Amino acid sequence: MSDIAIQVEGVSKRFRLRSAGGNTLKALVMDRFRSGADTSRELWALKDVSFTVEKGTTLGLIGANGAGKSTLLALLAGTMMPTEGRLKTHGTISSLLELGAGFHPDLTGRENVFLAGAIMGLTREQVNRRFDAIVEFADIGRFIDQPVKHYSSGMYVRLGFAVAVEVDPDVLLVDEVLAVGDASFQRKCLRRMAEFREQKKTMLIISHDLNTIQTVSDQILFLDHGRVLGHGAPSQVIGQYETFSRDQVSSDRRREWGTREVILTGAQFLNEAGQETTRVTWGEALTIRLHYEAKTPVGPSVFGYSISDEQGRLVHGNNTQIEKVSIPSLSGRGTLVLKLPSLNLAKGTYLFSFSVHSADHQVNYHRLDHAFAIGVEATKSFEGLCYMPCEWKLE
Amino acid sequence: MAGLIKDITAHRDLLSMLVARNIKIRYKESALGFLWTLLGPVFLILIYAFFMKVVMKFPIPMPVLVSGIFVWQYLAMCLGDSSFAIIGNANLVKKACFPRLLLPLSIVLANFVNFLLSLLVMAVYLLIVGPHFGAIAWLPLALITHLALCTGVSLGLCALNVFLRDVQHLTGIFTMAWFFLTPVVYDISMITPITQQHPFLGPLYFMNPMAGILSLYRTALLGSPLPDLSLIAISLLVTTLVFVSGVLIFQKLQPRFADEL
Repeated sequence: MSDIAIQVEGVSKRFRLRSAGGNTLKALVMDRFRSGADTSRELWALKDVSFTVEKGTTLGLIGANGAGKSTLLALLAGTMMPTEGRLKTHGTISSLLELGAGFHPDLTGRENVFLAGAIMGLTREQVNRRFDAIVEFADIGRFIDQPVKHYSSGMYVRLGFAVAVEVDPDVLLVDEVLAVGDASFQRKCLRRMAEFREQKKTMLIISHDLNTIQTVSDQILFLDHGRVLGHGAPSQVIGQYETFSRDQVSSDRRREWGTREVILTGAQFLNEAGQETTRVTWGEALTIRLHYEAKTPVGPSVFGYSISDEQGRLVHGNNTQIEKVSIPSLSGRGTLVLKLPSLNLAKGTYLFSFSVHSADHQVNYHRLDHAFAIGVEATKSFEGLCYMPCEWKLE
Repeated sequence: MAGLIKDITAHRDLLSMLVARNIKIRYKESALGFLWTLLGPVFLILIYAFFMKVVMKFPIPMPVLVSGIFVWQYLAMCLGDSSFAIIGNANLVKKACFPRLLLPLSIVLANFVNFLLSLLVMAVYLLIVGPHFGAIAWLPLALITHLALCTGVSLGLCALNVFLRDVQHLTGIFTMAWFFLTPVVYDISMITPITQQHPFLGPLYFMNPMAGILSLYRTALLGSPLPDLSLIAISLLVTTLVFVSGVLIFQKLQPRFADEL
């Protein structure tokens, strides 16, 4: 089939983990003395991965660190061999696994361009013809005849990117290179990648910037721990990934403790339409229905809640006592409704914590810290985590 | 092997650039630059000349010592550099796809260029001190065998060093032993009496390929008598074995380089 650019069939990649001794004779001997088939010393970076990419398609790869994205690109680039399975690529491949990977600090920009071009498979003549375009794209002017160790990191990556795209391959592999460089360089890269798409070239892109990857990709492949968890339309797979990583975040940070005379049995998050959700939009109302059960009747009590960001930093917290809502006693099951008329949070993932304790703060009945992860979409962009209603006026 | 040669010819521009890079960066930012290729052996010669001729009263003619050190220096440079051919380019090996063989090969060739230049200087020295050149026709064979030996050893060492870093430490000790097993600071004629007494020692001695190679150089450049051709043949045979096994070891191990670095 001629319209397929990349075919990956049942590919697995195993790494053998060495003991702390590293690659020395001692480590080798010690490893031999330990049990022979020690599976804890193996890491499957990819496990039974299969997919195809049609010509002219841009496939975005997403997943947490260690999901196997970079390993997959390395296999496609040919720098590593799969342990199992087969990969087939059609046409010439250029890989941006790392910008300026072939550069030597002591050589000048000019020498490095020729060297990097040759590493990517160009002849001296072919590099010669593209040289001016490379220097122009990289925008480094007279520095081209300086050793690259005197370059700023921005100049370095610009030159690296320029060489790789001027190779003009059929398939371009890009590993998280958009994260480097300043804003104008990133725009330039994105423009260049858009040109690539118009020319019906095939691209595989790794990025942690979900916005960018959603706009540049035709399809998204979602990897986790070496397995494919999703493959399809960008909005759908990215939604799946966001839900997945939110659950991951809250399960990592979740803590629960208390005397359990009263327990918090659950919380429902409702959007403006009254539907249960884990994704809300900035400025909309959010209603939280907090369910509790008082195993033994207790006296005056206080319910509290707080919102933290993904790193667990407190953004906001409040309780019934502060708001002067009196709860003289609790017994049996019940529900407390918390209404946030306008959610003024910046785009991101937030962790909600809830607590119930005695009014004199002496007894902690139950605390659920970082137990609920909610994604916030923001249509407005502003600085910081919180939005403060404001009015600008020119006088 | 045919596929390998095709791979290398397809990347000959890359190979020549890597060779140029290796030559350039070796002496970058050093005031004397290429002169160090000569100064290294010259100081070695002076040291050995002083200890052997002055202190130990060992009757070694200067041209023999000079040719020995210069020829040995090429192998010694390759042994010293090759351990790092792959691990010193870890980034390149992990991030770019090209025949990995080019990395050690470019080091061997860069050192070869340095060696040829130093041979020129040595030729000038030999013309000045006077002795006639010998059977110069042996020189190409000496150069090719020498190059093949250095390539084979370097390929094997750099590949093994990826998996076992002990290799680079062992290489230093091994180089020292090899130095004295080779007629570098003595002449092959000094061991001829011994090999005549014990006929099995001759072939054994020439199983060190450097023994045959250095004899060829001295025959070509100094007019020293050529040892028995069957002994030279042993050195050539061992060189071929080293070359082939070096290539095979390298090719066998290279798919796993990126995993290990």
